[in-house]
Order: sequence, then C-alpha cells, then structure tokens
Amino acid sequence: MAHQVHAYHMVDPSPWPLTGAVGALLLTSGLAIWMHFHDMTLLALGLILLLLTMYQWWRDIIREGTFQGHHTPPVQKGLRYGMILFITSEVFFFLGFFWAFYHASLAPTPELGGCWPPTGITPLDPFEVPLLNTAVLLASGVTVTWAHHSIMEGHRKEAIQSLALTILLGFYFTFLQAMEYYEAPFTIADGVYGSTFFVATGFHGLHVIIGSTFLAICLLRQVLYHFTSDHHFGFEAAAWYWHFVDVVWLFLYISIYWWGS
Amino acid sequence: MAGRLLLRACTTTLQLRSSVLAPLHRSMATVRGIPTDEEQATGLERRTLQALKQGKDPYSILKPKHYAGTKEDPHIVPGIGTKRLVGCLCEEDNTAIVWFWLHEGEAQRCPSCGSHYKLVHHELPH
Repeated sequence: MAHQVHAYHMVDPSPWPLTGAVGALLLTSGLAIWMHFHDMTLLALGLILLLLTMYQWWRDIIREGTFQGHHTPPVQKGLRYGMILFITSEVFFFLGFFWAFYHASLAPTPELGGCWPPTGITPLDPFEVPLLNTAVLLASGVTVTWAHHSIMEGHRKEAIQSLALTILLGFYFTFLQAMEYYEAPFTIADGVYGSTFFVATGFHGLHVIIGSTFLAICLLRQVLYHFTSDHHFGFEAAAWYWHFVDVVWLFLYISIYWWGS
Repeated sequence: MAGRLLLRACTTTLQLRSSVLAPLHRSMATVRGIPTDEEQATGLERRTLQALKQGKDPYSILKPKHYAGTKEDPHIVPGIGTKRLVGCLCEEDNTAIVWFWLHEGEAQRCPSCGSHYKLVHHELPH
C-alpha cells in the first residue's frame, strides 16, 4: 500500500544505470582498441551490454508507468521536460556540424579552388532523390500527427494504420538515403566537402533510424493497448523526436544539398 | 486510373466501417478501441485522477488555495501528523523564507509577518 503523500515517483533501486555505464566504458575503450589493434571484442561486448541496458531500462519504465500507475500528472510533466531538454541538446549537437559546414563553405580556401562546391566535386542534384526524401519526411510528419489525433479520439485502427505508415515512410527515407550513399560520386575522404556532407547527413540518418525504432516500439505498445486517449506520453515523445528529425533534414536540405550545390 | 481505384477503395472502406461499427453498441467510453484513463489508469495515477475528479487533492498536486491569512481567514495547512513545517514568503518575491513548525490546535502566526496558519488534520491517502 502506498504511504507517500506526494504524487512523485520514488524509483526502486535499479542495476541498469551501472550496466549502462559499464557498457559505455566498453564501447569507448573498445573503439580505441579496434582502431589501433583491429580487435572488435570489446566493442561488441559494449554494444551488447548497451542494447541490453536500453531494453531492460525502458521495459522497466513501461512497467512502472503503464502497469503500476506511477506516472501521475506531475511525473508526466517531468518526463515532458526531460524529453524537451534532451531534444534541445540534440539540436546543439547538430548545430556544431552546421557550424563546420558554413565555416568551410562561406569562405572556401585556396586548396579547394576558392569555390564551393570545391573543384572536382560533383554535388548531388537537389531536385532529384533529395527532394523526394524531403517529401517523404514531410509526409511522415503528417501521418504521425494523424496518428496522434487518432489516439486522442480513441480510434484504435486508424492509430495503428497511421503509425505504421509513418514508420514505413521512415524506412523508405533510410532506403533512399542508403542508395544515395552507395551511388554518390564523392566519399567522406573527399576533403572538407565529403567530411561535412557525410558526417552531417550520416548523423541525421542515424537519428532517423533511432526515431523509426522509437515509433516502432510505440506501434507495438499501441497494439498491446498500453496507451489511453489521455495518457500516451511515450507516443508524444516519439512524435516530438520525429518532428525534430524532420526539421533537421529541412535544414540539411536547404544548406548542404541546395545552397551548397 | 490509379486515382479512380484509390477513390473506390476509400469509399468502400468508409461504407464498410460505418456498416460494421453501427451494430457495435458499447456501454463503456471506449468507442473505437482505445481505452480511456477511466477504464485503464491504475495505482497512484488512478488515485490522483479519481480524487481530482471529486475536487480533492490529497497528493498536493495543485497550488495551495489562497487565504487572506487573517485571524478570521487563516491559511489552512493540511497535515497527516501533529505538526508540519511551514515556509512563509511574507511578501511576494522575498528570497528569505521564514520556516517554522505548525502544531495542531490553535492557529499560529508567522514570526516575521504575523500571518495566521492553522493545521487541519487529513488522513494518510491510501
């Protein structure tokens, strides 16, 4: 029986922060070992530990919130603040790569031929696959909003369909971008153009995969009746993250693909 | 042609949906498959939502009610024991909080600004 007089969640002791920290240590040291001695053991161990940590930590949160009812309105408010702060930190992460791009491209050095794109670089046509990718992500923003409204209005079937469509569009983007990477006439080793292009779009692609995974978990939870019409913050967090990914793409498209071509 | 096929698919789906859903008459609030908090909330979340619906706030989620703080209208302080810590912001924007123990019984006054506070006993929510 509960004996607290407040609405906050005093979380039970958990081993996952420790396993996560150990996993992070193995990943970082493993990366260094792999780079110098070509051995992937530590890296693989770290990855497995990290994946296990994420799975069990978030599974526990679902148990605490959905099955045990610990996510009262104040607790939910805290989770909202948390997600917003996290996304803000990710914005700053991408800001750095945009800074690098504009630093290199606004005043191209003589080594590049004093021009942007640099001499010898044939940039991708912004009105071909990149434009399709823009349409795909914008459409996925519409479908995820459709899914949200379906949940709020209690339409189970519509919610499942629109959420599934959102995830499919995400996969389509990833597939198209992978094709573009394969067919591109330049590589990451092609000077500062290659570096800025592939690091910025590469991290964005990683975030698309992360966002798609988050949405897929939400789809599973929706099918399993976890969400109610008023309380579905996991889904809202995934939708916020997805919109963020979409906005980053728009900036990438305008800056690197279009202006930078 | 694709446009016409799409249109036909849409209208067929709409017709099917309305013909299938009409006979399904549910007495619960879930009309189209997604549960409501009323049906599915559990534990502390359920208790807070039910209490708020009845106008009660046993877990102090909302801002405390405003009182004049006079002898006739003292600040009502809910408590589960015989005493509770009170922090008085004598004036708005004060940075120094005046802390004191409020005991059950007669109303006490803030040692700094003299506002009246009265402890009112509440049962431990469970």
